[in-house]
Amino acid sequence: MKKFLIGLITFSLIIFFETRGLAHGVGYRQSNLKSIALEFFYSTGEKMSYREAKVFSPQDAKFAVQSGRTDEQGRFAFIPDSPGEWRVIVRDEEGHQCEAKINLSKEFFSDKATSDSQNNNQQKNFPEGLELFIRALLGVSLIFNAAFLIITVKRR
Amino acid sequence: MHISEGVLSGEVLISCWAGTCAGLALGLKKTDTKKIVRVAFLSSVFFLASLVNIRIGASSTHLSFLAPMGLILGPVVFPAVFTALLLQGVLFHFGGVLVLGANTFTMAFSALMTYIIFGRAIRESKKIFQAMTFAFIAGAFAVILSASLVGALLGLTDKNFLTAVKILLAAHVPLALIEGAVTSFLISWLKKNSPEFLC
Repeated sequence: MKKFLIGLITFSLIIFFETRGLAHGVGYRQSNLKSIALEFFYSTGEKMSYREAKVFSPQDAKFAVQSGRTDEQGRFAFIPDSPGEWRVIVRDEEGHQCEAKINLSKEFFSDKATSDSQNNNQQKNFPEGLELFIRALLGVSLIFNAAFLIITVKRR
Repeated sequence: MHISEGVLSGEVLISCWAGTCAGLALGLKKTDTKKIVRVAFLSSVFFLASLVNIRIGASSTHLSFLAPMGLILGPVVFPAVFTALLLQGVLFHFGGVLVLGANTFTMAFSALMTYIIFGRAIRESKKIFQAMTFAFIAGAFAVILSASLVGALLGLTDKNFLTAVKILLAAHVPLALIEGAVTSFLISWLKKNSPEFLC
């Protein structure tokens, strides 16, 4: 009986300390750190919703410092911690990829920095509207001009 | 279905360029002066098709016309697809220069296989309904094969892409059905009005 009680107490102590050891506390606090928020979209204007996003710091171009997904509106945000060129790559399952390059100066990390400087970093990857129409027309024109050039050369 | 620059490994890119160069050589050899306007027209259609998106549920996709291109152009589909993709890369930033070989290979090879498998059956079909049925299967087949090849290239590059590949294939099922229907009606029109267009 005595041995049983000693064993029971020992077992209880082990379980007690083991459980305390495993129980990590968690918490949160609201942060005032400046973030960079980006919107990703296709040439058609469609949002790149829920696409894989990776953030590369100026110090390491190979390994992402942050990864996640864009939200429903194609938005993704990260918090930079050093000046230089930050890259955010968003890609979909079909292989489409958009790379945003954000150049951050030392002023960005000072208190006087305004949000205007962030807006200047927007990258426009795809043509839209009239420019899209002109480029489409140019493409078709080039194809047919090449075809007629080949025909002319072959006939001579 | 364009694979972006920097996604595929060097070995995969080189292999695809080899396949594309072989396809281009074959296509250029088979190119007849009389058919050049036809090649230019279909290349333009393919070039513009990527700009017309079709909404499917929460996502959207675009027509490729791979099966009609294969059935009309045969082996000449390689130069047609290559030209269109090159211009899409330069003018719209779709894909890229290094990955052009892989994008050309996945699409043109699918169109060529569609021609090899279904071309004769469609050409020799006496009944329109029979030709339309073959054309429907051909249209769907071209899309699924193309998506599978893209998936295979991504899988060969990185096993982590396998989940994305499954989603890619599932996403292309509706497009396969749409392309099948479009190919079916296009082939029925060609069989009735201009059967000589079928390669």
